Amino acid sequence: MSDLDRAIAQLRACRPIPETQVRELCHKARELLIEEGNVVTVTAPVTICGDIHGQFHDLMELFRVGGDVPDTNYLFMGDFVDRGFYSLESFLLLLCLKVRYPDRMTLIRGNHESRQITTVYGFYDECLRKYGSANVWRYCCEVFDYLALGAIVLGASNQLQPSAPRRTRAHDLDTTQEHIDPDTEIEVLNSEGNLISSVKRRSPEALLASPEIGRTNGISVKSGPPGSGASGDSDGTVGNPGGAILCVHGGLSPLIGTVDKIRLLDRKQEVPHEGAMCDLLWSDPDEIDGWGLSPRGAGFLFGADIVKEFNHVNNLSLIARAHQLVMEGFKEMFDNQIVTVWSAPNYCYRCGNVAAILELGVDGSGDSTIARSNGEVGRSDGGIMKEANGTLLAGPARRYRVFQAAPQDSRGMPAKKPVADYFL
Amino acid sequence: MEPPTLNTRIVEDRLPILEASTPHAFIVPTKKIHEGHDVPQFLTSKAYRDIGIFIMQLNIAMCPQKISGSGKVQAWQLGSSITLSKPMLQLQDLMQRINAIIEEAPPDTGPRRFGNVSFRRWHEILESRVHDLLRTYLPSSVLGFGATDQVSPMEELTPYLLGAFGSAQRLDYGTGHELSFLAFLGCIWKLGGFAAEGSKDRSLERSLVVGVIEPYLQVVRRLILTYTLEPAGSHGVWGLDDHSFLPYIFGSSQYCPPTALGDPMPTEGALTNSPNPGDISKKSLVDKERKHNMYFSAVGFINDVKTGPFWEHSPILFDISGVRSGWGKINKGMIKMYNAEVLSKFPVVQHFPFGSLFSFEQDPNAAPATSSIHTAFHPSSAHVNRPQESTKAPWASAPSLPSGDMNGSSMAPTAAPWAAKSRPTPSGMPLTAAPWASPSRPAHSGMPSTVAPRATNSERTVRDRSKDRDGRGR
Repeated sequence: MSDLDRAIAQLRACRPIPETQVRELCHKARELLIEEGNVVTVTAPVTICGDIHGQFHDLMELFRVGGDVPDTNYLFMGDFVDRGFYSLESFLLLLCLKVRYPDRMTLIRGNHESRQITTVYGFYDECLRKYGSANVWRYCCEVFDYLALGAIVLGASNQLQPSAPRRTRAHDLDTTQEHIDPDTEIEVLNSEGNLISSVKRRSPEALLASPEIGRTNGISVKSGPPGSGASGDSDGTVGNPGGAILCVHGGLSPLIGTVDKIRLLDRKQEVPHEGAMCDLLWSDPDEIDGWGLSPRGAGFLFGADIVKEFNHVNNLSLIARAHQLVMEGFKEMFDNQIVTVWSAPNYCYRCGNVAAILELGVDGSGDSTIARSNGEVGRSDGGIMKEANGTLLAGPARRYRVFQAAPQDSRGMPAKKPVADYFL
Repeated sequence: MEPPTLNTRIVEDRLPILEASTPHAFIVPTKKIHEGHDVPQFLTSKAYRDIGIFIMQLNIAMCPQKISGSGKVQAWQLGSSITLSKPMLQLQDLMQRINAIIEEAPPDTGPRRFGNVSFRRWHEILESRVHDLLRTYLPSSVLGFGATDQVSPMEELTPYLLGAFGSAQRLDYGTGHELSFLAFLGCIWKLGGFAAEGSKDRSLERSLVVGVIEPYLQVVRRLILTYTLEPAGSHGVWGLDDHSFLPYIFGSSQYCPPTALGDPMPTEGALTNSPNPGDISKKSLVDKERKHNMYFSAVGFINDVKTGPFWEHSPILFDISGVRSGWGKINKGMIKMYNAEVLSKFPVVQHFPFGSLFSFEQDPNAAPATSSIHTAFHPSSAHVNRPQESTKAPWASAPSLPSGDMNGSSMAPTAAPWAAKSRPTPSGMPLTAAPWASPSRPAHSGMPSTVAPRATNSERTVRDRSKDRDGRGR
């Protein structure tokens, strides 16, 4: 067993590794990450995850639900640390897995992967408390500076494949469905792999007949599955067929018109207070036109028109992002052109939300998202038909797995630690 | 007759009450702490001194007292019969009226993320009525206090009350709002609204804590539950409490060993028959004790809103519950921690407005602010392991907060990063005052949307930034 595998085993048991090992790990991770571009290219199949925030036991539940590494490829969209009790264990485990299986793990940077934010929201305090010095915090922050800013997923299938057998907690049987309707675009499964809901891809006729499609600027009034009310937009893709999927922690920036512009940034620094890099990590989609000031004090709000134009210009079928708590675990907006994925269940021990991960499958036929369209912006009508041959194209088939907070029965009460000096 | 030295002392550790016959120049309170480096100036200001005196004054009032001559002890519990004077009863009514606004702004039932947008409606109603409410419930002697010119006492007091119930914009609540309420009471105190003189037996202060502050906390907790208000500036599990601090100070004082009038605050030991500090992780005991004690009342509220193991979601409180030297020690620690984690933290005090009663003017007697943990900003390589001095709270009853107190601690107070004028960054990022800007548009929802720590409400900043963007186009 290599040192790295030993470290992984120890971290999986939720025990921090010694400071010297952290230093070594961070050094290796940096060497690896420095080679990555600002926008990492990832090929499907891949499972996309949102915020973790130090909820280690829930991260273990995520791996149980989504499949273990390296059997499943993962893309984590940042915010590994802060707020939770186990930021350290969670981040170090993900980093170990990244170093051990570099092609199967993709980590991109969230707004919490920053010196300034971690000193306010808990990770700094946690490192001091668990190691007695800020060294480990500093090593981790040096890694943060090298994390990629985004990822592009290529080769995602337009058709769902039956999901692989999964080990369930109660019994080691697969409970997933064996047959999938090829027209299924969105499928929502619970943590045991049972179907909660599914959405069929709309037929071209239905789309053309539907009066509201493409004329509401993406602001849908619908509600319903999957996920329930907040996921009201998940009613079948109407536009932007065939593109790649951009993954970024926060969202878009008024300074970034193309994905290539992201590639030109100098990312190896603390997250600045403003500018393109800041916006990518801080912005949020919102039901507005154009750009708006963000209530967060950093980044911007951006509306459906911004997303549609960006996806069109960059041949994207979907933007996957995290950054905002969603009670149902995920939320598709703007005619399914952008999705928020949130992977920290019962956030902060009190929000009562479920978490989700997004699985994108690989297309066996090989013509999946390579096909590109050049229709008009907002081409909900024009984009339905593949230009030449009239084949229906659409965004990637999406399987969401929704899960709840890990049971707590297994967590014993630790000994009380020495208190802060205030109380000595 | 008490010895003069003692008298002097009692006078000195109370917030002075202004002479009503002398005209006073009121000031509409404004923010003065714009940058991290303004915090040290705050720590030597008259406002800081007065906040400290007021807290200590309330704190010692909650400590059980020896009844002279009888050998008996009088302790003070919530819900016990503490006589309230008319101004206190009026403030209780004010709290009830504010509480009742919740009925007029029911939480929005539509899809939402976390914080409930109806809280904005609640806050609007409060704002629209605040002057009427103050006129109804504040003593006329306060509102008619001899003002010199244009600014009325009402104008100076209003922002402190309005600032005490969370941020409508961010849908959050935190210790900064709690501090605002304390200052509101301090203003009334200074204007003689509770009595022309402080009471010798500290009953006035006590009734303020039990009769007004606890009811205020109840209103706040209902607001948090109703509108799911986010913790403001949360350290996550690594903060003492998501929202409050004062109940831990006053609640631990309630369990301190009894003192005679004029004695200093005990720094260790506990009241006979008080619960063990470790009892906070026992739910049944908390439920019993929360009716009587502010500390347990606050812990009970945590249990109401959080699920999961207590040691995991509240590790700081859990560790404090292991303190062996009793509630006196815990009380002393809470005071120190409040000084470091609330009063010295830019994200908390940046919103505090200063006027004539809580003044940003320098206190001539303040110890000069040493370069300290409070001014050492980012825990960057250059600073972290270096011995750091902590600014001594002039009012901390502990003989001193020894410099270097925090050294080698596994829990040194988090340095305030935003304050970092000199924060070294790997990229040599320019450290000019980047307008780490601010919202002009109300937040859509609350919980755990991380807010940039330097976010302020400066109009100018907003305008500059939007202009900047417009200029750039997209």
